Amino acid sequence: MNGMNGLRRYQWLMGILLVALFLTGCETGHDFVKKTEFKDADKIVVIFAGPVDNAWATDVSNFSVYEEPDPDIRLNIKEAALGPDKTTLTLNFEAPLNQGEAHILSTTNIVSEGQDLGAATLTVKKLYFGILMTIFLGAALIQNFVFTKYLGLCVFFGTSQKRSTAIGMGIVFTTVMVFAGMMAWALYQFVLKPYQLTYLNIVVFIGLVSLSVQGVDTILRKVNPALFKAFGVYLVLVIANCIAIAVPLMLADNEYNAWESLMLALGAGLGFMLALFLMACVRERLELAKIPPSFRGLPIAFVTAGLFALAFLGFSGLSIY
Amino acid sequence: MDPVLIKIALGGVATLACIGLFFGIGLAMAAHKFHVEPDPKVEEVLHTLAGAQ
Repeated sequence: MNGMNGLRRYQWLMGILLVALFLTGCETGHDFVKKTEFKDADKIVVIFAGPVDNAWATDVSNFSVYEEPDPDIRLNIKEAALGPDKTTLTLNFEAPLNQGEAHILSTTNIVSEGQDLGAATLTVKKLYFGILMTIFLGAALIQNFVFTKYLGLCVFFGTSQKRSTAIGMGIVFTTVMVFAGMMAWALYQFVLKPYQLTYLNIVVFIGLVSLSVQGVDTILRKVNPALFKAFGVYLVLVIANCIAIAVPLMLADNEYNAWESLMLALGAGLGFMLALFLMACVRERLELAKIPPSFRGLPIAFVTAGLFALAFLGFSGLSIY
Repeated sequence: MDPVLIKIALGGVATLACIGLFFGIGLAMAAHKFHVEPDPKVEEVLHTLAGAQ
């Protein structure tokens, strides 16, 4: 019995070790290379497990790099520099790298302390999490649907008079957007694209949005009547929102996968909520302000929205990863 | 006309009909499962009120 238990524990450990080995092994593609990553705009850093030969590492002709989709186009390396610990190799390129794509770095036989460790083909790519965050931030702030794409304006001006209304509308919209976005992704990838029906995109996506609104309406009415009473009015308005059709079309155009689609939908929803909330805060104060009669109501709201749009231009250079 | 195009068009009609049927039945089932009995008092009160808004 004891032996069995011991064996089980051992198996557990082996499993974890195997998974860890698999994960680390997958990352780069050569046993002697610990890590590869992008640095700045035009550098790739390779970290080796041990010291490598200086003469080998600083010879640019030992390395060749290309973007994964275009193996024909070799990127020009300006210089290769080895760090003082002899394990960190920095490759400087002549032009900035397109870091959204994975890069393939192939080397000649790695020379380490006189030993020949064989050639390596390494993959350099951004963390997938970083790409997801870029999509999310792009949809929420940098390319905010309301302030930079001018979509969903009717609902935006209709429901941004009070803060409570704005938050309610934002939450309902985000929920529906996530449902509709995921369904649109599945339908596009598994039905429309394989059967060459992409010319029906708009029809199908509009149907999907109304479907998810109806579904959320039906379920919420029964499951949480209090929430339905608070948010039910905004549900119908979601159908009238053009962001709800823009998101599925964008994720179909860009061929996003499930996670990227989710991030786009979530970013669009939260970005819309942020826009509504900011606008509602200002409009609550505008109620008390002295505004020339001809500007009262919607005109001053449009002016405010324009100022917000200018302010959101400040996000245009934002990138975290 | 090119038979391939006709095939794609007819296929589109058929697929869309199938999708519509599938989701329609799904919604109908959801509506059945999550059915809420409307309160007759609400209706009565609303009827009695002036109802200008």
